[in-house]
Amino acid sequence: MKKNILIVDDSESIRELVGNSLENAGYHVLKGINGKDGIEVLKSFEDTVSLIITDLFMPEMDGIDLIKEVRKDSTYKFVPILMLTTESQAEKKLEGKKAGATGWMVKPFEEGKLLRIVKKVIG
Amino acid sequence: MENLHSVYLEEAEDLFSKIEESLLLLEKSPDDSSLIAEVFRSMHTLKGSSSMYGSNKVADFVHNLETIYDRVRGHEIDLTQPIIDATFKSLDHLKKIVQSPDIPDPIDAKYHEKLTADIIGLLDEYSSGATPARREAGSIKNTYHISFSPNKNIFSNGTNPLLLVDELRDLGSSRVYTNINKGLISKNADPKECHTSWSLILVTEEDENPIKDVFIFVEETSKILIEKIADVDLLILPEFTSKLPPNDLNSKAPTLKEIKKWISAIPQDAIDRVADQLIVSDDLEDGEKDEKLQRSHSQEEAITSIRVSSDKLDELMNQVSELVTTQAGLSLYAENNFDPVLNAIADNVEKLSRQLRDIAFEMTLIQISNLFRRFNRVTRDISTQLGKSVKFLTEGGETELDKKIIDSLADPLMHLIRNSLDHGIESREERIKLGKPEKGTIKLSSYYSGAKVYIQIEDDGRGIDAQKIREKAISNRLISKDDDLSEREIYDLIFMPGFSLAKSVTDISGRGVGMDVVKKNILDIRGDISVESKIGEGTKIILGLPLTLSVIDGLLVKVESTSFVVPLVDIKKCFEIKREELSNDFNELITLEDNKIPYLDLRKEFLIKDENPPEKASIILLENEENKIAVCVDSIVGEYQAVLKPVGKYYRNQEFVSGATILGDGSIALVLDAYKIIARKIVKQKKSA
Repeated sequence: MKKNILIVDDSESIRELVGNSLENAGYHVLKGINGKDGIEVLKSFEDTVSLIITDLFMPEMDGIDLIKEVRKDSTYKFVPILMLTTESQAEKKLEGKKAGATGWMVKPFEEGKLLRIVKKVIG
Repeated sequence: MENLHSVYLEEAEDLFSKIEESLLLLEKSPDDSSLIAEVFRSMHTLKGSSSMYGSNKVADFVHNLETIYDRVRGHEIDLTQPIIDATFKSLDHLKKIVQSPDIPDPIDAKYHEKLTADIIGLLDEYSSGATPARREAGSIKNTYHISFSPNKNIFSNGTNPLLLVDELRDLGSSRVYTNINKGLISKNADPKECHTSWSLILVTEEDENPIKDVFIFVEETSKILIEKIADVDLLILPEFTSKLPPNDLNSKAPTLKEIKKWISAIPQDAIDRVADQLIVSDDLEDGEKDEKLQRSHSQEEAITSIRVSSDKLDELMNQVSELVTTQAGLSLYAENNFDPVLNAIADNVEKLSRQLRDIAFEMTLIQISNLFRRFNRVTRDISTQLGKSVKFLTEGGETELDKKIIDSLADPLMHLIRNSLDHGIESREERIKLGKPEKGTIKLSSYYSGAKVYIQIEDDGRGIDAQKIREKAISNRLISKDDDLSEREIYDLIFMPGFSLAKSVTDISGRGVGMDVVKKNILDIRGDISVESKIGEGTKIILGLPLTLSVIDGLLVKVESTSFVVPLVDIKKCFEIKREELSNDFNELITLEDNKIPYLDLRKEFLIKDENPPEKASIILLENEENKIAVCVDSIVGEYQAVLKPVGKYYRNQEFVSGATILGDGSIALVLDAYKIIARKIVKQKKSA
């Protein structure tokens, strides 16, 4: 069975890019356009999501709040979460880590790196 | 897939003709770097898509060609006629085999082998040491001892530590020992906590970095110890492996100490034997393995960037700035016209132009290491000239800065380093007498902090004597005898024009022109400079620089209908006050949060009509290191992305402004320079006090 990965990002091009790479690598991809939407998608797939990849700056609900929200729910307490960050967001990265993120990926990244990191957190 | 494959073939055809075209031009002008880059890029793309579409023979073949052009591009080798000839031949051959990449035709296959050999021959002929070194580095195996004790809360961050152990095992051959803490077996064990740790003996061809990378997400919270215990493969050495406990859950992991003891007990000739064997065995299986290794290396190292002339980047930045300005106009118009469709479009344009601006801006950033490297050589030359021996260290070379800033840093940094070498670092004899290390040290480092980049020049020389500066400043009538100056203010005096402490003028520095020019240069790029020093221990000069010169995040404020932009970095707080609070005060001081702070009323300074000022005023508190100043305006409009434009040359020497920006409605706002304002106000305050 394919593993479900949820991508939450307000930029469509990032969603598509990351989504395509992951789909080609054999994952099933779910998408959310902001933190709030992401959580709705996550819940509608119950406990079948293996990994959440989230942007940090988004309208409605940002990535940090998304992480906090996800960790609050015991269903998703141990789901790996990767943050998409840029180099200049070192503080945000720490904040996200504190909120319960598993790791991060610095934009821009190429496909190989993406898949390596995904593999690192979900095997 | 069929469809995609034809896309690949079309693309390949395109690339072939592109390469051919460039090659023909290159025959006439073999030094044209843009053509060489073009050829390299095309080959790189071809290699990439070929490997994606399963034509490994094509990909490998192109890889060798690409390597040649990568070196030509890096000026390691010249583009000679034999290389061009071989490339043409290769292209003809590639056109043939790209259709049926398995090369079924035996004549083609033979030709393929011959050409490959020719190209590798060319590579070997022209490469001097670089590649063999890389190949050798890959085949040396090291043995590491790694102990990994995860934080017990590791699961709640979504991390599965077993995956990390697996990742380590993928790096080479290994023995893994699992240690289960008592916490797991006890009755009260919390299944949500991790009570297991691992220790590994790992043999890998990699160095320590890929091992560290495995732990990148957990390094802060978990205990990780990595130690190289041997530079051979210990796990093929029976003298070592026989000592190891069996690899199962029941055996206790050997401690690092025990392992080291076992290693020291291994006779040297056994280790030599393993080392020799390794080389022999590598020679035997060279073909496949080496190639694979080389490929994986070059896939990572092959430069995926392109060269663009800096003029073009400047031009791009300019255009983007114009776009941002135009977009501000659109947003303003949309806002005023309450058209939902237009509003949505304007929002989108705003988002896009911001993204575009960020991308363009990132492109103009370059690593400061290029600049640092230049000083390594200079330091060596100057210190030899002075007969001093100096160690030059750099740190944070990966820090990125606007190209323009880096360009304008070269001179000031050079001056500061010369100063350190000449005045800071003592002569060898003196250092020995003082009990300091014989070699002096100069350290150049760079780091981000907040929205700024800091660059430090640090030496371990004699330091600057604040008392001497004071005396000199008094005798130069820069300050009076009774002035009470903080240490910092005293050090700031060395940046005054005409101030030099050097007793004798040397070739290197000390003509009294310099530090003021250095300061001016730094101020020109909206930076600041400060000095810290301890007598006998050394001096540290710190430059604080903005990340970029062209775009700043600012706060848009208004006095009557005149707009100003204040850089957000410098703003500490904003207050709202009644205007009459200002007029009560003769010393131009205002009480904010129980502190008396000097203020600047823009209304007065810019002679904006003063008939009916509004009752309320806004105060913006600016802070620059330890100095504060309040700026009084009528109202605060909001945050604003300002594209900085230089002011005309008649306004260059004014004391408030670092530039101007065009607002959405086409009007102009001056961008205030907090550093200049503070410096001026403090001086004024000192004079009047």
